[in-house]
Amino acid sequence: MAYAYLFKYIIIGDTGVGKSCLLLQFTDKRFQPVHDLTIGVEFGARMITIDGKQIKLQIWDTAGQESFRSITRSYYRGAAGALLVYDITRRDTFNHLTTWLEDARQHSNSNMVIMLIGNKSDLESRREVKKEEGEAFAREHGLIFMETSAKTASNVEEAFINTAKEIYEKIQEGVFDINNEANGIKIGPQHAATNSTMGGSQGGQQPGGGCC
Amino acid sequence: MSDNESSASDQTEKSVDQESSSPDRDDTPSDSQIDRSTDVAPVRKTRRRPEHKPPPEDQKTPETPPQAETASNPSTEKTDSQGGWGYWGNWGKSLISTATATVATVGQGLSQVIEKAETSLGIPSPEELSAQVEEEEEKSDAKSEADKEEGSHSSGMGGAMGMISSSSMGMLSSLTSVVQSTGKTVISGGLDALEFIGKKTMDVIAEGDPGFKKTKGLMNRNSTLSQVLREAKEQEEQQTADSVTSETQKKAHYGMLFDEFQGLSHLEALEILSRESDTKVKSVLTTLSGEELVKLREELEEIKEPFSLTEFEDEVEDDTRGDDGEEFIKELTDVLESLLISTSADKLCKARKNAFSRITYMKSQPEEEEKEQETPPIKCNVEDAHLSAITSLAEFTARSIEQFHKTAEILLHCNTDEATDAERAKILSQVTVIMCKEISVLCKKFTSGLTAIGANEKGEVLNPLITSVFLEASNSASYIQDAFQLLMPVLEVSHIQRTVESAQA
Repeated sequence: MAYAYLFKYIIIGDTGVGKSCLLLQFTDKRFQPVHDLTIGVEFGARMITIDGKQIKLQIWDTAGQESFRSITRSYYRGAAGALLVYDITRRDTFNHLTTWLEDARQHSNSNMVIMLIGNKSDLESRREVKKEEGEAFAREHGLIFMETSAKTASNVEEAFINTAKEIYEKIQEGVFDINNEANGIKIGPQHAATNSTMGGSQGGQQPGGGCC
Repeated sequence: MSDNESSASDQTEKSVDQESSSPDRDDTPSDSQIDRSTDVAPVRKTRRRPEHKPPPEDQKTPETPPQAETASNPSTEKTDSQGGWGYWGNWGKSLISTATATVATVGQGLSQVIEKAETSLGIPSPEELSAQVEEEEEKSDAKSEADKEEGSHSSGMGGAMGMISSSSMGMLSSLTSVVQSTGKTVISGGLDALEFIGKKTMDVIAEGDPGFKKTKGLMNRNSTLSQVLREAKEQEEQQTADSVTSETQKKAHYGMLFDEFQGLSHLEALEILSRESDTKVKSVLTTLSGEELVKLREELEEIKEPFSLTEFEDEVEDDTRGDDGEEFIKELTDVLESLLISTSADKLCKARKNAFSRITYMKSQPEEEEKEQETPPIKCNVEDAHLSAITSLAEFTARSIEQFHKTAEILLHCNTDEATDAERAKILSQVTVIMCKEISVLCKKFTSGLTAIGANEKGEVLNPLITSVFLEASNSASYIQDAFQLLMPVLEVSHIQRTVESAQA
């Protein structure tokens, strides 16, 4: 499938908060209650549409275990977006956010869009972190915030897509230099061709640019 | 001078990591920033040139036309229309840049507000919240005692980690304003330098390493394997984009399939690890001298040996190997076991099994063809067979590279003393041989299947398909061998880590 842009994402956060489950829900639309511990990094990809443009998300799902940290840090670089995940039923995963955030900011490019995610919102009865706390943390650090449930799929699409929208807007604003791949953005193969022939067409995205 | 993996605390790990990674990569704000930035700047400039692609204006400008068409598009006035998220983003940014000190107080104020809300069991409206924040801000000086209490409170819940983060928060925010402008450039400059070193290393390796002989022509200077593959895939994507509307026939594109199986991603990640490991090895070597240096060089030489001496091009003489790949799976698992690291070859074995079921499907066809008249025409045509072949090769290669990537991660993650890294290098070279041999087995199976199916086809239809299977099989073997080469610095780092650890013990 041809795409206009490719965005690289990383998913980070403590072990067991549901990073891999979020990815699986987003890419495969299914939930796996028991997931193997992620070793290093695993990958997922999906195509989304923003503003009529096909955007491919290439997602790097990192291991949450402390002992993998020095390895996973190497992968932060060149990401355009990050999903920073905590578990609303485990206060400690929320308390570690500052460390994760410092790490992410240190090892990635400064324009990286970070989405804070409070996962497991289906487990309301076991909630330890209030939604307002997540919101406050996000506000304080300039992050986007959402509560999600990888199990019920609630807000999962939105989390990935809203991050992409923010990145897309930053591209429009000229904040991201799309020609510098260190920003985690790549222009798709068909993008230039489609746009150059776009003038005549009535604004709809011509799939595959077959008009020429 | 290396990652001490046994250190459990984040703080220690971080500092060790920084120390060992490279003198150029500096993340510690406490270090002398200015010195480093002058160090790095020239390097950065030189690196920029080869990397920088001519800014194609037609790529950037076309952004506007679709926008203009929808004049009422909300993205023209972002701050207002994009709702809450954009608002928070901007709010955060402006605060950080202009009044870093207030961020800390606002943050503290907010958490107090939340505590209040908790006790009163009422959720304050945003208006109330902001009003209270202002209130708290005014009182914040007097509240420093209370803040300390709060800090210890949170550390009780989050353990040592919470303590670190809550205490460093205040310090960080006061530092941010000072460091922000310089820090950012230093960090990115440092990383650029790192990448530059990595690129240079690739050149050096490509020049001097016989293992690269096959792909030397393929691999452009200054470009890594994943870049080459990515470009190839993009060309294919471009081609399909052009042709997809006219014909709906599915075409077998190795590069795109390889990417779909996440082969490119694993390769890219493996390249990152390899590059960083290489930098670490080089920096360790510069710190040593005399006997120590000679000894380490010898040891590293031993690790390097299998990477240059192994002959991967074993012709498969025996045609007795079954279609099911059982021999391969057994051989592979046995050899991987001797690595003595917890790695599983399940995915690669699965890829081989998938190839088997495709071969089986293909082989079942000609028989049916004989009684063609009676059976409904759901026969496997040459295009399908070709697609099966290319898919199998792409999947098998992607999984092989994933296997190497996972091996690298595990090697860097935990060190066991059970096998030396020189031994592991030999074992991994065997793994490479086994993989490449299986590629050639698959190639034979598929091409003979194709020949059988296409017996009635014209030469100009069948021949290009068969040629393309041979070509992609040969490429597959090259990619696997190149991925194997990327493991060399990883094993070197693993060895150095172990030496350091045993010296400390």
